Amino acid sequence: MAAARLPAFLVLQPRARTLRAFSTSVSPATRSPRPSPSTTERTSKYGRPLRRKALPPRTEKMAVDQDWPSVYPVAAPFKPSVVPLPVRMGYPVKRGVPMAKEGNLELLKIPNFLHLTPVAIKKHCEALKDFCTEWPAALDSDEKCRKHFPIEIDTTGYVSAGPSIRNPKARVVTLRVELSSLNLDDHAKKKLIKLVGDRYCKSTDVLTIKTDRCPLKRQNYDYAMYLLTVLYHESWKTEEWEKKKTEADMEEYVWKDSSSEKNILETLLQIKAAEKNLELSKEELLGTEAVEEYRKSVVSLKNEGDNENTLSQYKESVKRLLNLT
Amino acid sequence: MLKGMTRLISRVHKAKHGEQHEGQHYNISFQDLKTVFSHGLPPRFVMQVKTFNEACLMVRRPALELLHYLKNTNFAHPAVRYVFYGEKGTGKTLSLCHSIHFCAKQDWLILHIPDAHLWVKNCRDLLQSTYNKQRFDQPLEASTWLKNFKTANEHFLSQIKVQEKYVWNKRESTEKGSPLGEVVEQGIMRVRNATDAVGIVLKELKRQSSLGIFRLLVAVDGVNALWGRTTLKREDKSPIAPEELAFIYNLRKMVKNDWQGGAIVLTVSQTGSLFKPRKAYLPQELLGKEGFDALDPFIPILVSNYNPKEFESCIHYYLENNWLQHEKAHTEEGKKELLFLSNRNPGQLERLCAYL
Repeated sequence: MAAARLPAFLVLQPRARTLRAFSTSVSPATRSPRPSPSTTERTSKYGRPLRRKALPPRTEKMAVDQDWPSVYPVAAPFKPSVVPLPVRMGYPVKRGVPMAKEGNLELLKIPNFLHLTPVAIKKHCEALKDFCTEWPAALDSDEKCRKHFPIEIDTTGYVSAGPSIRNPKARVVTLRVELSSLNLDDHAKKKLIKLVGDRYCKSTDVLTIKTDRCPLKRQNYDYAMYLLTVLYHESWKTEEWEKKKTEADMEEYVWKDSSSEKNILETLLQIKAAEKNLELSKEELLGTEAVEEYRKSVVSLKNEGDNENTLSQYKESVKRLLNLT
Repeated sequence: MLKGMTRLISRVHKAKHGEQHEGQHYNISFQDLKTVFSHGLPPRFVMQVKTFNEACLMVRRPALELLHYLKNTNFAHPAVRYVFYGEKGTGKTLSLCHSIHFCAKQDWLILHIPDAHLWVKNCRDLLQSTYNKQRFDQPLEASTWLKNFKTANEHFLSQIKVQEKYVWNKRESTEKGSPLGEVVEQGIMRVRNATDAVGIVLKELKRQSSLGIFRLLVAVDGVNALWGRTTLKREDKSPIAPEELAFIYNLRKMVKNDWQGGAIVLTVSQTGSLFKPRKAYLPQELLGKEGFDALDPFIPILVSNYNPKEFESCIHYYLENNWLQHEKAHTEEGKKELLFLSNRNPGQLERLCAYL
């Protein structure tokens, strides 16, 4: 086979040579009828046209009061020749400055909002106004809105160009309501807070229910409203087992029937016994002003924790109770 | 620096410490050191006493407040509890020692537990209690404590008589009416029964101080150990709760205010405490819910850093004893530097001056 190949290779070569010879023989004939090159184009002896000189960037031709939204009508990557700002970005070398915008990859990587300047947004709003209805004139303050519409529903819609218009993220529904606008008594409010757990924020008194377990937004909204209704009704009911609530379950300190009350009672009884002063009964002892003050100071100490104020209050009340100067 | 400015030689008239003496040092005689303070003082203070060859305590407001209350106690009423609290190094233990010294001079019986934290950690040998199978004994700690208690209250031990018969084992028993010293001796000699001896001592003292024979001062340092957690474990590595230790159980009964004829002075401290954060110093944080409920009602007394007068006095004291050798120590800038570095905290100041 190799022997058979060799002559083919040898045969090819001279054929190529003959072709080349043919072309060289042909080319001088073809070259002469070519028209002369235009004056603007620079030709070199090698016949390859060079690329033209870079034009000055568009930024130099921009007016100061131009219409910017037409330069960047949509989200587009950062084009240094179009943005007239002398922006620099990058970590500088020693004794240097950050890199300029021309050919700067860092500026290309980050998202830019050049298409959303305030002027552009104003234009968007003007265009959207045709599709909007009037805001009701009676609802001119936040309190009125909260009073008449205590439940706030948050939903998000997503628009994108793609094979399908559906977006699974659009089914999330968030329901926010302030507990002060619900009709709850003390027991109901504590039970509701225990039932919802983390979903209640103590500082703003807002219950947030976020649902996304159903496939459609409408279904999630119904489910959220159902949850709210059920929570409300259940927290008003009192079950049998709620009577077994222990001191550890209490949200705040209750002085009645606590060990503090027992201690102070025993102490006072002993003091009275020592002074042979057994006329006062338990209820009267507990009703005296000194004990009232003591009760307040203990409750504040337990609920608020230790600080200078509560501790000094407690000290004063104990001193008064035990008749120390 | 005149000696009179910072010193106050008043060995006998401890009772006359008043507000005008605030900031001045007073001397404790060596005799008292050996008896009353055989086991009470903080270790750094003991080193200072050895160096200066004298024991001087500064008279400060928290201690003065407590002394005022103690002077006006009504011994017919139940014992009042006073709790010293404050940040680390502010002088709680020394204020406690000041009040102990005062009461010792007034001839009270001193029941001083130097550091309750020592009883809930690092205990080598735990025996099952002979009295109650559920609880545990700590023979070593109990016997050391009994020895110190004996030296502190020697003269009382012969006066107080036990009111019950106690049987130790088949051969030994203490009859009714014998002096308390015998119980203490029994505990020191028979280390196995030491914790029970301590329990008996506590019970008898509590019962008899209500009768008015003597006045009892219960002083516990680090009382938050009684209601915290322990690091002791049984053989099967399960943790032991504090109430399962016989000593802690008896001590809890002691700090309850159901007896008359004395006072209870306590400190809560984070140093040496178990499982408590370093910055905790407020009573509720350190005592926890259980401890607070048990001690309620009590009088909390805050011990804070030195005020400027006390700070000056402390520096003068160190200068007089030639403790500050740095040449800039007595200048104004030196004092300002020390003030800034220590933030007027007594413990911190003492540590800083050790380097100068």
